[in-house]
Formats: sequence, C-alpha cells, structure tokens
Amino acid sequence: MNFRLRAASVIAKRRIFESCLSPGFYIAQAVGLLLSYFLISGFVSSIDSSGFNYMLHPLYELIGRSLAGAFGATFLEKLFAEGPFQFVFYVSFVPVFLYLSFSTVFHFGLEKKVGAIELLAYGPVDGTSYFLAFYIKDVALTVLYQLLLVLFLSAAALLNNLFLGPAFLYVLVVIFFMALMLYTLSILASVLTDGGASAMALYIGIILLFLIVMMGSFTIASGYVRSFSSVLSWVINWVSPFFYWGLALSSVEAGNTLNYFLILLVMAALSGLFLFLSHLVIKIKGVRP
Amino acid sequence: MKGLFILFFIFISIVPVVADVPVRQEQLIYSIMAFNGKDYSGTFCGENSDTIYLIADQDNFITARKTLVYYWPITGDWKTDTSALNYPFEGTLELTEKGRESRIINPERYTFYNIKGEYELNWEVATGDEAEKAWQHYQGLIEQYWQATSQYQQAKTTFDMMMNELAKKITEMRNSGIDVTELVEKLKALKSPEAPQPPDDYIVPPSPVQSAFILNLPRGEYNIRFIDGDDAVLEGSEKRVVVFEKRRADGIGFEVIPGDKWTRPVESKSPSSVLYVDGTTNLYLRPFFQDEFNDLFYQKMVKNDARGNPSLMNWVRIQQVPGARIELTGNNHTSEVLLEEPFYVEQTKGSALGYKIVPFDPEGVHKDRDPSLIAFRVPVNRERSLIKIKLLDKNGLNLASSSRQVRVIIKSRWQPLLFLLCLLPLLAMAVVRIIRSRKYSL
Repeated sequence: MNFRLRAASVIAKRRIFESCLSPGFYIAQAVGLLLSYFLISGFVSSIDSSGFNYMLHPLYELIGRSLAGAFGATFLEKLFAEGPFQFVFYVSFVPVFLYLSFSTVFHFGLEKKVGAIELLAYGPVDGTSYFLAFYIKDVALTVLYQLLLVLFLSAAALLNNLFLGPAFLYVLVVIFFMALMLYTLSILASVLTDGGASAMALYIGIILLFLIVMMGSFTIASGYVRSFSSVLSWVINWVSPFFYWGLALSSVEAGNTLNYFLILLVMAALSGLFLFLSHLVIKIKGVRP
Repeated sequence: MKGLFILFFIFISIVPVVADVPVRQEQLIYSIMAFNGKDYSGTFCGENSDTIYLIADQDNFITARKTLVYYWPITGDWKTDTSALNYPFEGTLELTEKGRESRIINPERYTFYNIKGEYELNWEVATGDEAEKAWQHYQGLIEQYWQATSQYQQAKTTFDMMMNELAKKITEMRNSGIDVTELVEKLKALKSPEAPQPPDDYIVPPSPVQSAFILNLPRGEYNIRFIDGDDAVLEGSEKRVVVFEKRRADGIGFEVIPGDKWTRPVESKSPSSVLYVDGTTNLYLRPFFQDEFNDLFYQKMVKNDARGNPSLMNWVRIQQVPGARIELTGNNHTSEVLLEEPFYVEQTKGSALGYKIVPFDPEGVHKDRDPSLIAFRVPVNRERSLIKIKLLDKNGLNLASSSRQVRVIIKSRWQPLLFLLCLLPLLAMAVVRIIRSRKYSL
C-alpha cells in the first residue's frame, strides 16, 4: 500500500509539473477568469435604481431569459439574490474542470493504448497507483485554480462594492466535492475502456446523462426534459454529483448546515467508491490495451 | 370577371380583420376556490390536468361542473366560458387517501369573508345556516347604508335648495341696497349634511352563499371522484389531490420602491439577499411577512395550468408587518431608527415624464387627499456605499431573517486592472515558456 501511494505521489508530482509546463492549463485558467470578468462587468451594468435588472445588459438579457425560460423566475431570482458570484463561479470553474478531466481521460487512455502503463507496471508502478496519480494531479490543480478564482472574485467584489455572500462559501466547497466525484468518474471511464477516444465518449456520455437528469429536476414542470428525466432520475440521482450538489445547496437554503456536511461526506464516500471500482476493474482487466 | 376580382379583393382584405376565435370545448371541470395563504384564489382543473393542489388545514371549496373551456393565446391561459354553459353537477365527492378507506363528502352551503382587524388576515368561513346568517348580516349592513345614502341625498338636495334660495335672496337684497347681515349669518350657519360611510366591518365582504365540497385536509396525497345521483362515478372526474404545507413561516420580505420608479416595485425575499442599486434615488421599503412553499405546488394551486419549479421553494408575501421599525446602519457604524411615514406621489412638472415621491402634507398641498404610499424612506446616495437594515417589531425586538444589505454600485476606475488580472495565467505561461526555452537552448 505504501509502495503504491509513494509511486502515486511521485507520478502525481511529475504530472503536476508537466501540466505547469503545458500551455493548456494556463489558457483554461485565463478563459475562466475572462468569463468571470465579463460576467461581473455585465452584472454591474445591469444595476439601476431598483436593483438588478437583467434586461439592461445584452449578455445578461440572454442569460436571464434562457435561465428563466428553462428553470423559472424563482430559480433566476435565487441565483442572483446575493449577487453575481454564485453564477460567475459556476461558469468560471467549467473551463479548468473540463481541461483537467478531459486531459486525464485522454492521456490515461492514450498511455494505456500505446503500452506506456504496461511498461511501467513491470516496475514499481501498478495501474491503481497510476490512476491515483492522475487523480491527485486533478485535485491539486483544482485547489490551485479555486484559490486563484476566489482571489480574483474577492478583488472584483472589492472594486465594485459587491458582496461574495454567505452562499458563496458553501458553493465553493460543494463544487470542489462535486469535482472530486467527477474526476473519479473520469478515471472509471478510462479504466473501463481501451482507448482515449472511447474513454472520452463514455465520460462525456456519463456527464451528459447526469446533466439531463439534473436539469430535468430543475426545469419547470411540463417541459419535455422533465418528463424524460423523471424516468431515469430515481436510479441515477443516487450516484450523480449534480444531484448531491443540488441537495447540499437546498439544505443550506433551508438552514440545515448539518445536512450539508453529511452530503459532503456522502460525496467523498462515493468518490472513494468510484476509485475502488476503478481499482477492481484495472485489477481484473489489467493494464494491457 | 371584373366582379369576381373585386369580390376576391374584398375577401382578401377582410380575412386579416376577422378575429381568430378560440375553439371552445365542452369539459367536465372542478371549479376550485383555494386558500392561498393570504386570500382565496379561483382556478379550475380541466380534462387536461390530472392534479388539484391545495394548502393543508385550510377550507377549500370545490364544485364539479360542465362548462366550455378554451385556450387564450394572448395570455397563454386556459379559460372557461361560463356565460354560455355552466352546469353544476349534483352528487357527492369520494375522497381516498393512500392506504385508507374512502370517505364521502357532501356538498355544503358556505360563504367566506375577511373582517377588519390589526392584520390583513382575518379570513372566516361560515357554513350551513351560519353562512346564511353571515350573508344576511352583510346584506343588512348594505341595506342600512343605502337607506342612509338615500336620506343623505334628500337632505343634501334640501340643503342645496336652501343655499340657492338664500344666495338668490341675498343678491336681490344687496342689489336693492338692503342690509343682508342677518341673512349672511344664516347662510354661514347652515351646515351641509354628512355623507354616510359604507360599512367597514369587512375587508372582503361575504361572498353570496353557494354550495360546494369543502376540503380541509392534512398534508398528503389523495384521490377524488364525483359520484352522481345514481351512485355512478362521473366519467373523467377522477383527479389526484396534492395537499401541501409551508416549509417555513413568518420570514420577512421587503417591497422595495425606488423613488424614480414607484410603479415598478421589486421584492427582496431571500433572507440573505443583497439589494444592489445605483444610488441615484432613495428607496421606500414596505416590510411584509412571508411563508415558504414549493414553487410548483403553490403556482398550480393559484392557477392550475401555471408552471413552476418542483425543486425550488419560494417565499410568498402574506401580509404587512404592523407597527414595525427599521434600524439602519451606515458605513460609519452609526445606526438610526426609521419610522413608517406617509408619502405622496407627484408627477414631475414639465414635458419630461416621471414621478417624484414627496412627504405627505395633509394640512397643505395634499389637503383632502390620501397618501399614495406609507413606507420607510431609506436615504441612498453614492456617498453611502453600504447600508445595513434590520426590522424591529413594535416592541423594538429584532425580527428574525429581516436583515438586508443595500449596496451602492459604483464602477471603479480600477476595472482595467481587473482585466489585466485575468491575463495573469497567460503571463505565467509566457514566463515558463521563456525559462524552458532558455534552459534547453544551446
């Protein structure tokens, strides 16, 4: 076990170093921060004497109309009740999250296909320590980006006299746990398939499925997506990171902080379960392409 | 041929003018008068809908009837045309709760009304003979009022005639050079009769006595069906009834009226919400109690064909907070207590359209008028970037979940710096690439 952890930590350090050398991570961060900048500027321009009015800014008009149409006016009202930062955080987190998880899926699949993992497995590294390294890399870089994002949003709040809001902290933590779950799912998709492309297809499929189910539950009733998703949701929700995200935030809204932390624990446990499943799969299937 | 062409031309001209009449369908509906937490709202559950939504532990009134239903595309609503067909069915309602035996509900005569009190919520429901009594009492009050009005009108006519006669007489005597002091004194002594006030016992008077099934149920899911006089189930009358309750009660919300847009108030309902404004005008606040309900259930209870979000809870305004005060804390941490004041809305002078809200002056310019607004005036300007408000009840105690922040947004001149911060990762990337290329270059 110690051997495996040591191998995982050595490979993870190498992976983090590689990520810091490649331009992709920086570009994803810059894209995320630029999205934040434009969304915050748009929000500031959407304020008049009566408060936030999304009709005042073309970008927010588009966002506001789309969100209100799909999820209802109550959803929109709650999303922007404390200010723009919940929404901004979600949007800005996506580029880095996608970059990290997709690169993990793609590299793992590619390295497995070309036999790189098999080669390493003859040495002190096994399949489990290899995917754990990817996981550690993703988690470390996510923490780094979240810190950068929080610093940037705090600066933006200070400059514009905005307020991060009490819900922001809860969102920050729950998004981190949601990312943990999704990273473990990316690893599971990688070990289940034999190549980068098939792993990517499976992973995107899983995310889309969870998203459809989540959007269905948030979509105003009588919409097509809702009726479709209601059939699937009762099974899928129990392993969906998006479901736990919604559940955690509704607990906070209802003032039930204990429930929020319990949900975080469940998310962490599910991440562990997915990692364990990945370990079992790689143990049975091996690391050969 | 020419005539045919003219006819064709007339037909083409007329077609766009003819209104598109919606298709009316004869349907069995449940007409619902549901208590929505603050009032009674009427809706109906037609053939397209399979569920009725009601608030728990409140009297709700349901009738089964045949009427015409049509879709009104302008508002996107389903409507009934009761003027053409409105046939109420006579029979009983069978109500079944999951896992329990069915019970039969018989129709009852009822009326509901809201009597005047300190709060707006003083709804009462009277059934059977009590309903008749309540209705008769109200009718009696109305009759008394009309009698008093009739007497007043007679007295007023007599008074006006006397006034006219005296005025005429005074004019004639004055023209003839006769002293009119005595008559002028008599004229001054005359008093106009006072107009009677309409009965103010009720905020909402009793509705005419009707017959309906009264559903007052605890939270849960039920099934209903209508049994007609022949003990047969009326086809299409099976519906699901979802009875829900509020998740939280007595939250505090604020109606926010900006000084320059008094016709467009906004509501601050989430307890943690922040009110961002541009600081160009003062705000007028009206606090209210609010209850929290499931968004979909509540919307569908008010209007059965409405849409709502089943995953969200929504605060619903219930009634004003009586005798409240607002504690206001500014940037310098000094606090002041605001009291509710009356205001009058005046149209701005000149060609520009707009309003301004001014303090109500009952003795001066606003004499004999009612205030347009009774609210708390929160002074906002660009120098006060942060205002914290807290609602106190009439005893000076802080009301839970009543704290809000008002923040004045001022675009900073440091915005370009923020933009440059976004490019920081790209700068870091360039630095790394340069270091790497130097390290590995010969």
